Amino acid sequence: MSTQLKYKDEESDGEISGRSAEARVITVAVAGNPNSGKSTLINAIAGTRLHVGNWAGVTVEKKEALFDFGGRKIRLVDLPGTYSLSPYSQEEIVARDYLVHERPDLIINVVDATNLERNLYLTVQIMELGIPVVMALNIYDEAQEKGYRIDGKAMEEMLGIAVVPTSATRKTGLDQLLDTALRVADAPKQRVPKKLNYGEDIEVACDYLAKSFRTSYPALTDSYPQRWLLLKLMEQDSHVMRELDLDDLDFLDQALHHLRKAHGEDIESIMADARYSLASGLTREVLHKPELRPTEITEKIDKIVLNRFLGIPIFMAAMWLLFKLTFDLSAPFGAWLGSMTDGPFKRWASALLTPLGAPDWTVSLVNDGVIAGVGSVIVFVPVIFAMMFFITFLEGSGYMARAAFVMDRTMHAIGLHGKSFIPMLLGFGCNVPGIYATRTLENPKDKVLTALLVPLMSCGARLPVYVVFVSAFFPNNSSTVIWSLYVMGILLAVLMGLIFKKTLFRGEAPMFIMELPPYRMPSLHSLCVHTWEKGKHFLYKAGTYIFAVSILVWFLLNLPWGVEHKRDSYLGQAGAVVAPVFQPMGFGTWEAASSLISGVIAKEIVVGTMGEIYAPKKEEQAEVPTLQEDLKEIGVSFGAACSKAVKTLLYLPVPEEKEKDRSALKQALLGVFTPLSSYAFMVFVLLYMPCVVAIAAMRQEFGTWKWAVVGLGYQTALAWCAALIVYQGGRVLGLGG
Amino acid sequence: MGIADAIIAALLVGGACYILYATLWKKKGCCGCEGGSCCKK
Repeated sequence: MSTQLKYKDEESDGEISGRSAEARVITVAVAGNPNSGKSTLINAIAGTRLHVGNWAGVTVEKKEALFDFGGRKIRLVDLPGTYSLSPYSQEEIVARDYLVHERPDLIINVVDATNLERNLYLTVQIMELGIPVVMALNIYDEAQEKGYRIDGKAMEEMLGIAVVPTSATRKTGLDQLLDTALRVADAPKQRVPKKLNYGEDIEVACDYLAKSFRTSYPALTDSYPQRWLLLKLMEQDSHVMRELDLDDLDFLDQALHHLRKAHGEDIESIMADARYSLASGLTREVLHKPELRPTEITEKIDKIVLNRFLGIPIFMAAMWLLFKLTFDLSAPFGAWLGSMTDGPFKRWASALLTPLGAPDWTVSLVNDGVIAGVGSVIVFVPVIFAMMFFITFLEGSGYMARAAFVMDRTMHAIGLHGKSFIPMLLGFGCNVPGIYATRTLENPKDKVLTALLVPLMSCGARLPVYVVFVSAFFPNNSSTVIWSLYVMGILLAVLMGLIFKKTLFRGEAPMFIMELPPYRMPSLHSLCVHTWEKGKHFLYKAGTYIFAVSILVWFLLNLPWGVEHKRDSYLGQAGAVVAPVFQPMGFGTWEAASSLISGVIAKEIVVGTMGEIYAPKKEEQAEVPTLQEDLKEIGVSFGAACSKAVKTLLYLPVPEEKEKDRSALKQALLGVFTPLSSYAFMVFVLLYMPCVVAIAAMRQEFGTWKWAVVGLGYQTALAWCAALIVYQGGRVLGLGG
Repeated sequence: MGIADAIIAALLVGGACYILYATLWKKKGCCGCEGGSCCKK
């Protein structure tokens, strides 16, 4: 509000004088539909200047950037992607409240040129606010490729707003967009959007209400955009009614009664119809599509991918391919990192600490605690990043939205709809954003049920556990075994959903129309940026709480001081107390129990703790390589890893290496677990209680510990039962012991 | 284990506990969302 007041003081006859115009910061809000390319456009404009935070009071992401353009300062505020400005979701309320109460100098409305009619519905609502608007006609290149001709000039004339064609992915039209934005911001009065005609009945009602309001509530029409306020009151907008706290308004009831009588339907439908008619009419006027349009590639692919019989098998096959590519690409780099943490890093740490006179126990703490613990997790960074890359590719290509669509029927069976599968898909990366993503669901019951099921999706943090076990016990079927765990997570989510639906969450699933964006080839830059965004928190975790837990686990493994056997340490004793619980599942050892206890903090820590427990005793080496030899070995083995990854991806023959496995952890596991008990262990890790951050996210999201405790309890019970069935069932089937 | 060792050990354990407190409790971890903003106040 303050920006606007200052701005009004400075203006005279709609133009702002040169010096004051240069000095002020122009606040530009960026609004648009989801999938309109808004984020890409903002990233292309603001790049690294983007500051990410939260909208006040809610946990909806807010992106802002302050930068110079053409000698002027521009503050870009990214509003949440919405289809309308109705108060149905938190995103819509946030976007609307900002525009109404903060009154930016200008709105850049990002419109998908390939999907004009639907996007114009939001444009019509934005125009009601009376704030100058510049339309970024985005994805313009694709529209042209499809043979669409959009008459920008006609659109400018009809709407009274500037229209600039852009392509955020190709970074075209962006300078022109900002130039236009500056021009419009400098002459706001001349650039106020046209008042769109909503039909005689509505316009007459509007005029009547305006007069009545000016008499009864003059202050209100000063603090709100007048036309917007009147339209909202006619719609009986619950959010606005609550905010204004108005008593019964006879003149409003009278106007609404007349409208209902004239149209024979509820007022909300009348208003929505009016806006859709405007969007549709505008589209007819400005968009010219080729008469005979060949079947588009998206439609061709969708005929197969969305087929009711093929849809789910294709989704499963896509997941299997994702794991196969992930492991083929990342395994050589994981082995390379493992060889570094097991060899040179420990040698260098000893060589640095010993001459400094560090006590022996600190050298052991660094080598057997920090390097063994953190190193055991760091080894899996290539796997995690490779998987995030392929997941990002599926998201960016438009396939993930199809996956949610094909799961819609299954989700309905458990009282949810396909939209609930989107937080679950996010859960494959990390459960925590999956839990936060439930806030996009409108129904509170859906939110809680989805959040309870999200932790059954196998997150990236569980991947290190699987990889270390499959590489030891199932080296020839690694991707298939891991795929089976992911599928098990989905199937159990469906099963638990059915149980919850019959008990805690009775009721029908609401209907929802799901948007399927066209297939697109994501750009390499965007793939890399999003992969980094998704994967970086694993590095953050390794550097913070996995590091801290490694130190604590080392102390717990070495206290009481001078303990001979790790079994007699505090951690060993605690593990031994819990171990009998896991006996029926085939891994009732104190080592496994201790790892599972520490894994509550983060699932990767299961591997980190095992790395410390099974750290080999220090052996005197006959010949210690020099630093130069170590560096040379690192370089050579990295080259070999690159070559192996490329050959595996291209299905070229990879020379069989003699098993030169340097992983002490893998060797130790082979001596303790069997293939069957290792699978049961992985099932337990997949299902047992969510990590502490996921529990905290549930508490934060629902404002009560109740659902976090329900999640924690049912998952641990489910994990115990599932691992027991796997192990004992496997034994009955003669799959070993 | 001498007194100096005990002090160093106590400092290390205290530091590790503080990191856990700061990252898990105070900052509620890193959620892994795009931009990591979910947990920012």
